[in-house]
Amino acid sequence: MTVTVTHTDIADLCAGSVFLATGGGGDPYISQILVQQSLQKYGPVDLVPLAEVPDDAYVVAIGEVGAPTVSLEQLPIGNECLEVVDRFEAHVGRKISHLVSFEVGGANSVIPLITAAAKKIPLIDGDGMGRALPEAQMMTFAIEGVSPSPAVSVDYTGGSVYFDTKDTLLYERQVRNIAMAMGGMIFTAEHPMTGTQAKRAIVPGTISFALEVGRVLRSKAGNAKQVEAPLKALFERSDYGVFKHLYTGKIVDIDRKIVGGFDVGEAIVEAVGGNAEPLKLSIKNEFLVATVGGRVVASVPDLITMVDHETSSPINSERLHYGQRVTVFGIGCPPHYRTARALAVVAPRAFGFDFDYRPIESL
Amino acid sequence: MRIGIDVGGTHTDAVVLDGQYVVTSTKVLTSANVRDGVVNALDEVLDDSRVPLQAIDAVMIGTTQFTNAVIERRELAPTAIIRIALPSGELVPPMVDWPEDIADALGRHVYMIHGGRTYDGFPIAPLEDAEIDAAIDEIAAKGIQLVAVSGVFSPSDPQQEDYVAARIIKRHPGMRVTRSYKIGRLGLLERENAALLNASLLPLADRVVQSFASALKLRKLDCPFYISQNDGTLMSAEFAAEFPALTFASGPTNSLRGASLLTDLQDAVVVDIGGTTSDVGVLQEGFPRQSNIAIEVGGVRTNFRMPDILAIGLGGGSLVHDAGQMIGPRSVGYRLVEEGLVFGGDTLTATDIVVAAGKAEVGDASRVKELDAGLVATAVKTIHSIVDKGIDQMKSSREPVPVVLVGGGAILVSQSLQTASEIHRPEHSGVANAIGAANAQVGAETERIVSYRRTPRDQMLAELTAQLGAELVEAGAEEQSLRLADVEETAISYMAEESTRLRVKMVGDLSLLHEGGGQ
Repeated sequence: MTVTVTHTDIADLCAGSVFLATGGGGDPYISQILVQQSLQKYGPVDLVPLAEVPDDAYVVAIGEVGAPTVSLEQLPIGNECLEVVDRFEAHVGRKISHLVSFEVGGANSVIPLITAAAKKIPLIDGDGMGRALPEAQMMTFAIEGVSPSPAVSVDYTGGSVYFDTKDTLLYERQVRNIAMAMGGMIFTAEHPMTGTQAKRAIVPGTISFALEVGRVLRSKAGNAKQVEAPLKALFERSDYGVFKHLYTGKIVDIDRKIVGGFDVGEAIVEAVGGNAEPLKLSIKNEFLVATVGGRVVASVPDLITMVDHETSSPINSERLHYGQRVTVFGIGCPPHYRTARALAVVAPRAFGFDFDYRPIESL
Repeated sequence: MRIGIDVGGTHTDAVVLDGQYVVTSTKVLTSANVRDGVVNALDEVLDDSRVPLQAIDAVMIGTTQFTNAVIERRELAPTAIIRIALPSGELVPPMVDWPEDIADALGRHVYMIHGGRTYDGFPIAPLEDAEIDAAIDEIAAKGIQLVAVSGVFSPSDPQQEDYVAARIIKRHPGMRVTRSYKIGRLGLLERENAALLNASLLPLADRVVQSFASALKLRKLDCPFYISQNDGTLMSAEFAAEFPALTFASGPTNSLRGASLLTDLQDAVVVDIGGTTSDVGVLQEGFPRQSNIAIEVGGVRTNFRMPDILAIGLGGGSLVHDAGQMIGPRSVGYRLVEEGLVFGGDTLTATDIVVAAGKAEVGDASRVKELDAGLVATAVKTIHSIVDKGIDQMKSSREPVPVVLVGGGAILVSQSLQTASEIHRPEHSGVANAIGAANAQVGAETERIVSYRRTPRDQMLAELTAQLGAELVEAGAEEQSLRLADVEETAISYMAEESTRLRVKMVGDLSLLHEGGGQ
């Protein structure tokens, strides 16, 4: 079913995206303003269902790469996501037939809407993660064997860098370093693929799903208990399949430092007034592993997401603070992440944890 | 001794403090011109205490005049903004997300010029004098006198904002400029919004500060006077006239600071129980714990830090239902004195329960004699469990904490609380804001993005501490009393170089009070 996104949907879409971002992805506030402006100016965007993409389509992924925290101070020009598409097309010498988002978590779930609205390029209802994760090789495009290049970046000066790198790990290194050199944030167009490849490599339906999640969060506005049942119903009839309440409590400890360019840390959530064992959350940009009494209750690539207990608004990892009352949910990941090839790059071991992934439904 | 004054929308409160001791206090009506209300309050406390004028070392004033002006969109003067950021931010201009009515009140005089810096200090684009001057002259041609200046990463490197501000004053000496780095933290839109609101309040700030000064002069108080700001520290009158926006959160801050001063507690949970709701706040080292979320003032996002306050639906007028198992959140509010049972009405309220339980003498106790004892006992339990739950949500550790009860509804708590290690009910809590305003500390803070690989952490902290210390001494702080009040470090995600957002705050005692001996 084709879903149409209008400017009045964007606040819901952003709320849903932060929920699916599992603590990462950054605050989408600036992107939200830009998208609202664009959709008001150019009109609503129809999301193309993945199944309707022709096999010979030329699909390109777009989004921003870098440190979301920095971009709250150094704003984007605002047209990078249009420029990057023009330059990509000029570089490869052909027109893009469909756009797709890198990740449904945070700002990247809404940025492609600007391009789709302004350039009238169809946008696929789907993304390369079904959540947020920190690195390029963790995208389902890369896992399906799609080459990252040709790729183009645009920075705050309007300048571009062109990439011709077949190896995703090397590409990740290059693109990360360009982002750092150019003020902390760049926009890229990358991972070009055919319609046939796209149907295997893209997690379908996630943008419209984020919108539904956001609608539940905002329309049911109340404490986490009140949104739990409608969220559970929504997730359980989707590809995510599993939705569990993991914990409700108060953050009693939070410790973070930077290791290798990532925000790494741990948060302890303790049941209010109860004698239950606390929940421990391991963070590397996103919430990766949740344990209670040493027992893993959810781990990457399954989703661990946290909301403010009183308002149900989802919480980014950089906004965690001592004393917050939170509810933690565990959600099954899309089936794309449960193959052996995917788990090699997104399972706990890929993040340096010394245990194997077990699906959340078996925990 | 010192005088604390709280100028609210309705009441002007004043106290005379001798150290921590409240000599006398009063509550009068706020006057339209501000000055007369302050004069009346001064007359009352000075007459009552018979304290000689020369024994008053300082007067401290807290006010919600500026917050109210923004919320009510009144007395906001036309103001221009020059943002130093191009080419970045071109399509996210200043005021882009403001409510229409307040954007109209300031006008939409938006100018964007090239410049700014990246997180690591690299210039985004060179500043161009011709471009700056063109913007300045156009603003002048419109007859606008007030300008806000913002620049990318100006809290880390203020030089460009300073340069543009100096150029404005040089070309048009009558103009007044607010530089964003002086009042906000990282987060360009929010900081620029704060600078705009601040600049537009400058004419009102002049009048209000003048009113305070003339009230003191009329009563022949020639001691220095200070105005309390968001974080509970003081600023001089001259400084307040330049930075009125720094008072936006001073109301709740003063209330919590007042509770600290009245009880001599540094770490505690403060529950202010009113007629309809209770506000729960946390004192950490004598200052309110701050909230982490973006704060809107009159619908405009700012990044001022505000006290972290939890509002719960329990007050003296809260309705009692379900045989005492449910209390609030609905309340008769200020109509308690007509509708409550003990006041001759026929609505069962939380206040009636306390009177029926024999724990307070309010109104006519005979009117609640017939209440079912079981219902009263259940309701008393419910009240305590609501307060316990609120405290538990806010307190920062597992152990019970000292609890300070203030406000007219404090009588609702008649037994011990599970969450409280001790309960304090200070006298004079009705004028806690004025007492909080009369605190005696000055503070300064700075924030920047740092790389500890380039500058070791100790060295960075030493540099910032020295810089803040110098600022504080200039602001009147006693050098020996300076202490680091807060160091906050936030890792910045996704950057391969280890970058950290570092915020440092220092406070110190105002030296004149030491000289006065606080006797």
